[in-house]
Amino acid sequence: MAISAATKAATDALAVNRAPVSVGAQEVHRWMQSFTWDFEKNRTKYSTKYKMANDTKEQFKLIAKEYARMESVKDERQFGSLQDVLTRVDAANRVHPKWNESMKVISNFLEVGEYNAIAATGMLWDSATAPEQKNGYLGQVLDEIRHTNQCGYINYYFAKQGQDAAGHNDARRTRAIGPLWKGMKRVFSDGFISGDAVECSINLQLVGEACFTNPLIVAVTEWASANGDEMTPTVFLSIETDELRHMANGYQTVVSIANDAAASKYLNTDLNNAFWTQQKYFTPVLGMMFEYGSHFKVEPWVKTWNRWVYEDWGGIWIGRLGKYGVQSPASLRDAKKDAYWAHHDLFMLAYALWPTGFFRLTLPTAEEAEWYEANYPGWYDMYGKVYEEWKARGCEDPNSGFLPLQWFIENNHPIYIDRVSQVPFCPSYCKGASTLRVLEFNGKKHSFSDQWGERMWLSEPERYECQNIFEQYEGRELSEVIAEGHGLRSDGKTLISQPHTNKDGKLWTLDDIKKINCVFSDPLKAL
Amino acid sequence: MSIEVSGGRRGLTDPALAATILAAIPDQPLETQRKMNYFMTPRGKRINEYEVLCCYTQPTPDWIPGGLDWGDWTQKFHGGRPSWSNESTEMRSSDWLKHRDPAFRWHALYVKDKAEEWRYTDRFLKAYSADGQVRSMDPVWRDEVLGDYLGAFGFSEYGLFNSHSSVVRDCLGDTLRMSSAMIGLDKVDNAQMIQMERTFLAKLVPGFPESTDIPKNEWTKGAIFKGSREVVQQIWQETYDWNEILFSGHMIYDPLFGQFVRREFFSRLSSYYGDTLTPFFINQMQLYFSQTKGITTDMFHTCLASDEAFGDYNTRLMHVWANKWLPRTITALKDFMGIFAKIPEIQGVTDKPAIEAALNRVFDDWKHDFADPIGYKADTAALIKTVLTGLK
Repeated sequence: MAISAATKAATDALAVNRAPVSVGAQEVHRWMQSFTWDFEKNRTKYSTKYKMANDTKEQFKLIAKEYARMESVKDERQFGSLQDVLTRVDAANRVHPKWNESMKVISNFLEVGEYNAIAATGMLWDSATAPEQKNGYLGQVLDEIRHTNQCGYINYYFAKQGQDAAGHNDARRTRAIGPLWKGMKRVFSDGFISGDAVECSINLQLVGEACFTNPLIVAVTEWASANGDEMTPTVFLSIETDELRHMANGYQTVVSIANDAAASKYLNTDLNNAFWTQQKYFTPVLGMMFEYGSHFKVEPWVKTWNRWVYEDWGGIWIGRLGKYGVQSPASLRDAKKDAYWAHHDLFMLAYALWPTGFFRLTLPTAEEAEWYEANYPGWYDMYGKVYEEWKARGCEDPNSGFLPLQWFIENNHPIYIDRVSQVPFCPSYCKGASTLRVLEFNGKKHSFSDQWGERMWLSEPERYECQNIFEQYEGRELSEVIAEGHGLRSDGKTLISQPHTNKDGKLWTLDDIKKINCVFSDPLKAL
Repeated sequence: MSIEVSGGRRGLTDPALAATILAAIPDQPLETQRKMNYFMTPRGKRINEYEVLCCYTQPTPDWIPGGLDWGDWTQKFHGGRPSWSNESTEMRSSDWLKHRDPAFRWHALYVKDKAEEWRYTDRFLKAYSADGQVRSMDPVWRDEVLGDYLGAFGFSEYGLFNSHSSVVRDCLGDTLRMSSAMIGLDKVDNAQMIQMERTFLAKLVPGFPESTDIPKNEWTKGAIFKGSREVVQQIWQETYDWNEILFSGHMIYDPLFGQFVRREFFSRLSSYYGDTLTPFFINQMQLYFSQTKGITTDMFHTCLASDEAFGDYNTRLMHVWANKWLPRTITALKDFMGIFAKIPEIQGVTDKPAIEAALNRVFDDWKHDFADPIGYKADTAALIKTVLTGLK
């Protein structure tokens, strides 16, 4: 159309219709796929053995400003609840103490996952070639910043208003002392960001988010609420609304590589490794936090696990991807066995090492013991009896001079760390499937607790070289390690971690630990 | 009472559960230190909410300066490359966690601002259209300059946006990572606003081409954006050092080329051609430029150039990078001068003295805000003279 004619047409159009006109987000988004261009050196900086298709679409078709509007509305609701009604009813001081302690761990460790997912989706944004796919990952980059801030906000809120700020107020510094931290880094940090970009996507989106965020972010809200915590459901359910986009991103990642020959060759192996990596930590840790970190129980962890992991994810979600050649992981069967006992085994070790935590742990009460035995027949004979012995020896009393770790040493039950998952295990005293395997490489011994991790290590030992806490602390006295890791409260002498949440119980100090003279040793050196 | 509860009973409101919970809570709080991250050094007098929610979320070991963790990575890249490493940049720092967004924006504050801008944009477009302001727009300016060249400039913004992906992956600090993601999002927002303006014009002006085909052709094959396209491609895909990506994009290219194109070309000239629409969008971009300038000058001037141990080295490296990227940016500007032959000339506005004055403003700003603080000497008069040789 000639220029002058266009102007006249515009004028004529206005004469006919003066209705206000704007532009919707979708009207802009539909051009996104054409925003890129081809040039010689256009390639990702992060290698992948897969090829992502150039025309991959995204499911959540957002532009930057519409993304901001949507998130801002959710923020208003969430922070409005937290800062208004929940503060007025003093909600942080109406949470069961055991759950207050669990949230020190859950919120901070989830924050680690969210934070690393910023970098992970940055890598995927770089790796994808289709602008829509890049845009999907970009939305997730921003979401992960949001979630990092939200998880931090939980600890911030509990620290400011709750019954025991220690651990909430410095989790980012003190978390590195104890035995749960390195395993957390494997699943929620390095597992998301270090490797083939698609492999990282599988870890993050296809397994971490599509599988374990359901129990971690959704099921946890039921446990929180039952134990008086309304802050966590307020924040975590808001987080979960974004997770749908992330699961869609994971789905689209698979769609984008579905026609690539590499997918049929490698995808199911990568999925199996990713599933085992994630479940190896989350199955025991989540079960432990839910059941042992609460007073009121919602249901046995094994049921939650079965519903969300086995049926919903392993069956329905993976089933939907079946048309792209995706199969349920071969390791799912072994994981199902772990879901029954592994969290009981892990709690025993975590309690034995309680001084290295940044939270207070509590041994089961008599009514809890009954609940465990009813839901996990055989629990008492394996664990309950030992806890009774520990209690009788005064494990909660700072004057007793007894740390449960001594029981393992006295009974010749060495605790090892699995090199690949960094999860502690005691092969001679467990009901879970852990078995000790020791391999030597480059003059160093490595312990493993299962065949799946061992296989990963045998394929690529250079990826799993991280020293564990026993190697790191070998020869050092426990109170020294705690002091160096800032595991003390603001009085400079009382430990943040404690072996009870009894409000009338005495609190352990650094001197109480020092008197015991507990020195770390590396169990692999004794082999 | 059973400890297993069902039916969604809530400990806060269920009387029986609440009584059990309250009985277990200590009579007095167990800890008096209630400030989260109390151990950190704040930028201001007190630790603010941004610092509470963002700082030390980066879980790096202490051999990456600023990190609080210890030991090695639990999983590495194939072949053994570490998750994050000091070798990812030539810059050196005593504390990679030192950077602060001067506006202290964590996610909620960032999206709140942008959501307001979106709502206001919608209201503005409705008022603009109902008011019939498009009738005053010069047709050549509208159809050729906005349709083709503003559309082509959108690709520059989109390419710069993409240059942030590897920065978001590789950088070594939490506040660095969050700031980089936000300034990256602002760049794609710029590209989207340009397309939004073109779509809007297509709705108001029958026959105005909404498609990106012509602008993309201009961007990929035309002479006016040849230099800028090459710089953007080099920043996006040929540069691996995450600090160099940020430095080249935000300390050299965008303050010179981006500022000239946005502020001195589209925004300044639009009113002379009866265009009151483009300045609305450009001014949002200028707000983002201003916020980004605060962020990147904090990264490079306040943190890296002032680092007690590595400041001198970092400053020398910035000079090396400036020497590398400045000539390329000058070429981009020189190529862009060709656009003045495409528009109807207005004396005192689009003639050579006016263009030279505009270039002087841009280079003066750059010298004041970016070059002088690191002691970088550039003969701006000579640079401007070179750029002006691009006038047809």
